[in-house]
Amino acid sequence: MTLRWPALVPPRAAGAFAAAVAALAALPALLDLSAYTHNLVTLTFLMVAGALAWNWMGGFVGQVSFGHAAMFGVGGFVAARLLLAGAVPAPIAWLLGGAAAGVFALGAHPTLRLRGPYFSIATIGLGEATRLLFTYWEDFTGGSSGLSLPIDPDLKFRLYWWGLALVALVAAASFLIRRSALGLQLLAIKADVDAAADVGVSATFHQDLVFALSGAVVGVTGGLWASYFSFIEPNDMFGFDRSIGFVLMAVIGGVGTVLGPALGAVIFVLLRQYLLASYPQLYLGLYGTLLVLIILFEPLGLTGLLLRLWRRAARRPEPAPAAAGGGR
Amino acid sequence: MARFVDLAVSAVLLAGLYATMAYGLGLIYGVLRVVNLAHGGVIMAGAYLGWVLHERLGIDPYLSIPVVLASSFGLGVVTYRLLVRHLPRGPAGGPASLLLLFGVWLVLRNAAYLLFTGNDQAIRTAYSTRSIALLGSQVSVNRLAVLGIAVLTPVLLHLLLTRTYLGRAIRAVAQNADSCALVGVDVERIYTLTFGIGTALAGLAGLLSATLFSFNPGFGSGELLKSFVVVVLGGLGSVLGTGAAALILAVVEVFAILVLPSYLTAAVGFVMLVLVLVLRPGGLFGHRILG
Amino acid sequence: MPLLSARALSKSFGGLRALDSVDLELAEGEILGVIGPNGAGKTTLFSLIAGSLAPTSGEVFLDGARVSGLPAHRVVRSGIVRTHQIVRPFPNLTVLENATVAAIHGARRAPGHARERAAEVLAFAGLADRAGHYPGVLTLAGRKRLELARALATAPRVLLLDEVVAGVNPSEAMALAALIRRIRDERRVSVIMIEHVMPAVMSLSDRVTVLDHGKKIAEGTPSDVVRDPGVVEAYLGRGHAEANP
Repeated sequence: MTLRWPALVPPRAAGAFAAAVAALAALPALLDLSAYTHNLVTLTFLMVAGALAWNWMGGFVGQVSFGHAAMFGVGGFVAARLLLAGAVPAPIAWLLGGAAAGVFALGAHPTLRLRGPYFSIATIGLGEATRLLFTYWEDFTGGSSGLSLPIDPDLKFRLYWWGLALVALVAAASFLIRRSALGLQLLAIKADVDAAADVGVSATFHQDLVFALSGAVVGVTGGLWASYFSFIEPNDMFGFDRSIGFVLMAVIGGVGTVLGPALGAVIFVLLRQYLLASYPQLYLGLYGTLLVLIILFEPLGLTGLLLRLWRRAARRPEPAPAAAGGGR
Repeated sequence: MARFVDLAVSAVLLAGLYATMAYGLGLIYGVLRVVNLAHGGVIMAGAYLGWVLHERLGIDPYLSIPVVLASSFGLGVVTYRLLVRHLPRGPAGGPASLLLLFGVWLVLRNAAYLLFTGNDQAIRTAYSTRSIALLGSQVSVNRLAVLGIAVLTPVLLHLLLTRTYLGRAIRAVAQNADSCALVGVDVERIYTLTFGIGTALAGLAGLLSATLFSFNPGFGSGELLKSFVVVVLGGLGSVLGTGAAALILAVVEVFAILVLPSYLTAAVGFVMLVLVLVLRPGGLFGHRILG
Repeated sequence: MPLLSARALSKSFGGLRALDSVDLELAEGEILGVIGPNGAGKTTLFSLIAGSLAPTSGEVFLDGARVSGLPAHRVVRSGIVRTHQIVRPFPNLTVLENATVAAIHGARRAPGHARERAAEVLAFAGLADRAGHYPGVLTLAGRKRLELARALATAPRVLLLDEVVAGVNPSEAMALAALIRRIRDERRVSVIMIEHVMPAVMSLSDRVTVLDHGKKIAEGTPSDVVRDPGVVEAYLGRGHAEANP
C-alpha cells in the first residue's frame, strides 16, 4: 500500500482561489467603488494579511502573542524611513521593512522556549518595551510627533492591489503551511512540545521560523499601512491596542483554522468602522464580550459557527471529537 | 548618602505593594493553574472603587479596605462561577483561559471609561502630603500605611493557608485536585474561593496604589507584568520568596532612576520580566515554568 | 564495540541523587531488560540516554559517537528513540499523522515519503485499520501500540521502551511481546526495555540490568539475575534474601 501526501494543492481549491483573487482585483472597476469603499477594502486586505500571519503563531503553533505590534511598528517605521529617504521604490521599502521586522522577531528567540501563558505574558512585556524604546528613539521615529510621509494619492489608490497581492500570498502560504510536513510538526509542537522533541521535531527551530515569518509579514503590513496613512506614530503603531487587534481578529474568525482569521479581520474592520461612528465608547467592551462568548461557546469563532451550520444543513453527523481546542 | 537612603526606603515601600499585588496572581495560578490576565483590570477596579468611595462618600481609603476587599472578592467569585469554571483544565485550557480573562479585562476597562472617563485620577486625602522623619529622610505617611498593610496582608494570608481548614484545602487542591475530590474536598468551591481571594488581593493592591499614584482605565498592564515578575522570580506559594522577589524588583526599579531617563524607567519592569522568564525559570525558591 | 554505551551516568535533582554512576552497554541486535523497584531511576536513565534530560555527569555513546548533551530531537535523529511510561500521543493528530510526524526526521531514511513510511510502520504494528482515527478513541493497548509505532517510525537503531507491556490484559501483553521480538528480528532495532511485568522481560531479554536507588546492583542473563541475592533483597527485603539463599 503506497500513500502519498494528498496533492498539496488540490486543483479545485486552487482554481477557486485564483478566481476569487481575480474577482477581487477586478472589483473596483466592476462595481465602480466609491473612494471610501475602495479604501476600506484596502485596509481590510492589510488587516486580513496581518491576522492570517498572526495565526501561524497563535493558531498553528498555539503560542498566543500579545506583542505582534512590535513587528508591525518596526516594519512600518523602517519602510517609512526608507521612503522618506527616497532610497527605494515603495514595494522594496515594504519588503525591507518586513525583513527588518522578521529579524527583530528573531530577537525574541530566548522567549520562544517559554510555554503557554509565560510566552504570552513575555510578549506583552516585549511589545510594551519595544513601544517605549521606539517612542524614546526620536531620531528614528519622530517620537510622539511621529513621521509624515509625502501624500501620494496614486499610490494609495494602487495600495488596493498591493494589499490584495499580499493577502493572496499570505492566504496561499497559510494553506500550504497547514497541509505540509511543516504544518504537521507545528501541530505536534502545539499538542505536546516534549513528546514532539522525543520524535525528532525541534521546537526551537520551528518556533523561531514561524515567529520570524509571522513577524516579517506583519512588518510588511506595517509598511503598507504607513504608505496608506502617510503618517505613523510610535504609540499607535507599537501600541498594546494594536497587538490586541491581531488577537481579536484571529479569535473572532477562528484561531487555528486556516482562513478563519481572514473572516475575523473583515468583521473586525467593519465593526470598528460602525462602532467608531455610532458607539465609540463601547468598542473595547464589545470586543471583550465577544472574546468571552467565543471562548465559552465556540472556540473556533465564526468559522466554527459556519461549520456547524453547514453540517446541520447537510445533515452530516459531527466527526469524532478531536480534543485540544482551537482548530486542532 | 541621604539620597541613597531615600531610594532604599522608597524601594522597601514599593516592594510591599508589589508583594500584595503578586500574591493574588500567584495564588490563582498556583491553585487553578490559570493565569488571571484580568488581574490588572481588577487592580484598576479596586483603585476606582476606592476613589469613588472617597470622592462621592468621603470615606477614607484605609477605612474602605473591607468594602474593596469584599467587592473584589465578589467580582472574582462571579467571574469564576460564570466564566472560568467552564474552561478545560491543564495545558489544553491554556490559551483559552488567557483569552477569556483578557476579554474580561477589556470589559472592565471599557466600563471604567464609561463611568469615569479616561482622565487620570488619584486619591488625595488630607494627609496625602504629610510625611514623618525616618532614618534621616522624609517618608510619606501614606507610604508607611501602605507598607504596613502590605506586610500584614501576606502574613494574614500565610496564617490562613497554614492554620485553617480552608487554607489546607487550598494547598491540597494546588498539589493534587483529583485526590482532593476523592477525599471529599469540594474542589469547585475551593477554586471559587481561591479565585475570589486572589481578586480580593488584587483589588486591595489597587486601592493602595490609588493612594500613591495616579491612575486611569488603562492602568493595570504594567502592574500585571510586575506581579508576574514577582511570582516567577519568587516561586509559587512562598511568602518569603514573594517578598524577596518584590524587593528585588522594587530595588532595581528605584535605583534605575539614577541611571535612566524617566521615560524608560517604565521599561525596567518589562525588561526584568523578560530577563526573569528567560534566565531564571526556577525562581528563587524553585519551581520550573518551562515545559 | 557495543552499539550503545553509557559510562558513569549520574543525575542529581538538587540534593536527590536519582542515578548514581550507572554503566550500561547494548550490543547490536540485543534486547536488554532494565528492572528494579519503583523509584530506582529507570525512567531517569531513559531520559538521560534519549536526551530529554542532561546528565549531571557521565556520557552516552552511540556507535562510538557521543550523544550525551545533545537535545532530545538531535538524539532521535542520531538513532535513539524512547517511548513514555504514560503514553503521550498527539491528541489533535490522527493515528497516521502521529506516525507521519515521527517519520519526517527518521534516522535511517528508507526510500519513500514520510507518510508512506508511517503507513508501513502502522501496518507492522497492527494499527493499519485505525489510521484515520484519533488517539482518543483507541483502547489503552491501541495507544501503547501507537506509542511504539510512532517511535519505530523514526527509523531508530536503538529503541527505549518504557513499561510498554504494563497495564494491558495478558493476551494483549503477549501480542506486544511478540511485536517487540519482531522489531528486533525483522527491523534490526536493538531494544532496551523497562518492565515490571516479569514474564515479559525475562522471556524477551537477552540480558537484564537491575537498578535500585539509582545504582546498578546486578547484571546478567535473566536466570542469573533472578537468583542474585542483592536483587531479591531489593525487591523483597533483607529477610527474604537471608531466608532464601
